[in-house]
Amino acid sequence: MNLKTSLFLAFHSIKRGNKGTLFMTILIMTLAYVNLVFVSSIFGGIVQAINNEAINNQYSNIVITPAVNNIYIKKNHAEQRLSSLPGVQAVATHYVNQAIIKYDKNRDGNDIQKGRWTIKSINPKQEEKVTDIYKSMVAGSYLKATDRNQIILGRDISGAYGSDLEYLSLGVKVGDQVDVYFSNGVKRTYTVKGIFKTKNTQVNQSAFITKGEMESVLRVYNRSSEILVKTKNISSEGMVIREIRRSGFKTEDIKKWSALMGFTSGASKSFDMISIILGAIGTIVAGITIFIIIFVSVVNKRKQIGILKAIGMREGTIVAYFVIQALFYGLVGVLLGISLILFVVRPLFISNPLDFPVGWVSLKITFNIIKISNISLLSAALIGGFFPAYKGAKRSILNSIWG
Amino acid sequence: MIIEVKNLKKTYEALVPVKVLKNINFEVKKGEFLALMGRSGSGKSTLLHQLGLLDTPSSGKIIIDGIDLMSLSEKQKSQFRLKKLGYVFQSYALLPELTALESVFLPLMLDNIPKKEYLKKAAKMLKKVGLGKKLNHLPQELSGGEQQRVAIARALVNDPLILFADEPTANLDSEASLTVIKLFRELNKEIGQTIIMVTHEPDDEQYVDRVIWLKDGIIKKDY
Repeated sequence: MNLKTSLFLAFHSIKRGNKGTLFMTILIMTLAYVNLVFVSSIFGGIVQAINNEAINNQYSNIVITPAVNNIYIKKNHAEQRLSSLPGVQAVATHYVNQAIIKYDKNRDGNDIQKGRWTIKSINPKQEEKVTDIYKSMVAGSYLKATDRNQIILGRDISGAYGSDLEYLSLGVKVGDQVDVYFSNGVKRTYTVKGIFKTKNTQVNQSAFITKGEMESVLRVYNRSSEILVKTKNISSEGMVIREIRRSGFKTEDIKKWSALMGFTSGASKSFDMISIILGAIGTIVAGITIFIIIFVSVVNKRKQIGILKAIGMREGTIVAYFVIQALFYGLVGVLLGISLILFVVRPLFISNPLDFPVGWVSLKITFNIIKISNISLLSAALIGGFFPAYKGAKRSILNSIWG
Repeated sequence: MIIEVKNLKKTYEALVPVKVLKNINFEVKKGEFLALMGRSGSGKSTLLHQLGLLDTPSSGKIIIDGIDLMSLSEKQKSQFRLKKLGYVFQSYALLPELTALESVFLPLMLDNIPKKEYLKKAAKMLKKVGLGKKLNHLPQELSGGEQQRVAIARALVNDPLILFADEPTANLDSEASLTVIKLFRELNKEIGQTIIMVTHEPDDEQYVDRVIWLKDGIIKKDY
């Protein structure tokens, strides 16, 4: 094979060939590449949005729950102990109780709405360091540490604000009073201080009261049903768990947020599968496009190929002449596609993320996605270019010249 | 002798095998301008293809410059065609993206000749065929006769032992045909180029040294 001659011929074919065909081919390659990266990245973005919601509003990075057969984590000053561990940014302790919340609109025993929901207690100031509930108030206001007969409700309990479970909600507004029947039989009446709305359905079906209030209901002190630990960075979760164990939490159940995300783990796998299927279809379409373009070129140059062979050009040189063209189309498609993704599509999504029910979705473009997309498109170009070129080069000289 | 053909036979295998060449024997001297003539189907183009290593005979021997062509591998045949033979076809089939100069230096590039040398040699050859002022013209900017002259320059640029021409004037008008045939004669006289040409044109006889007349796959006349 004489690569220099192949490069020479390919270069002149591209330079002096039909500009319209060149433009269309490169456009198709670019769009095929953008499609490959975009599909994978948007699914990655959806999973990331779900995960972000879970971390920011539900689990934080690490969740500590009581040892088997225990109702509470029995560690005095757990917040202070955990906060001082390396890698820990903030800690929030919760009491968790399943309670029935009733709303009697006219306080006359008629038209009572009720339901069973999770009520958690929070230390409002500490909670702000761990979750974003305080940023999610859509009506009224967030709790203060001194609040006693006040409650804040998720929108799926209150109703309105785009609730997904309107038919189960109480239909309450800020300032209304609700009766709460705790699992230990205690009944309290609370004024709705605020209503919050997150992108996490489970959180939207929760209500919060202050820690002091909950301790008076449960008649326990300095305990917790769960502790959320926010780490300084996500990669240090494993190390922080080891530190927590070492600090004395020997029997408690300690999990990373990701271990509690059964739904997204399944969704992530499904998205990966859809992404692979769509990517494969995109790659095959790109490969077929290249195949057709090179095939037409080979057919149009049938006589020339015969004469090139007659004057001594080897088959390998002829194949390389067409394959280099195909690779050029693929390479330019990759370069333009990367530029389009990084400098146009990505900034556009960062400034205008999609409002999905699961969260604000942007593109999650990883090095791996770029790498796989590059390999896919260049392989498609290589294979799509090789077969027609090989078939054309393999024809006998006489057959090529005279048909 | 530059070419020796011994008991050459070519049969195309089909349901009924077609014997196109039947026991051909002849020799060609160096510097000879030979015309292969005959009616359609006489076997003249088939004979040229066997001599030019474009096809493989069913049996017999072709010896060019002392080398038995039947003993060469496909790779060696490619090299032999590149270094020792030149071709001009009825269809000039120039690559549309290459200028006259680029088309002509292509065989030299394939032979790994240095750039400076192949540019000089290709330009000289185009000048010789009367296209010295059209070096940078693309095929679509040249007439049919000019394109055929580019093809001739391409065939001759690597100084082949033998130039094979298969009805080189069939697609050209009378004036362009005359220019091409006179060019062949000139090259034959000036540089002693051995030329074997298939032609239909009886008028071409006056420009060649020798005619082999074929009929039904055998040599009828050799004069």
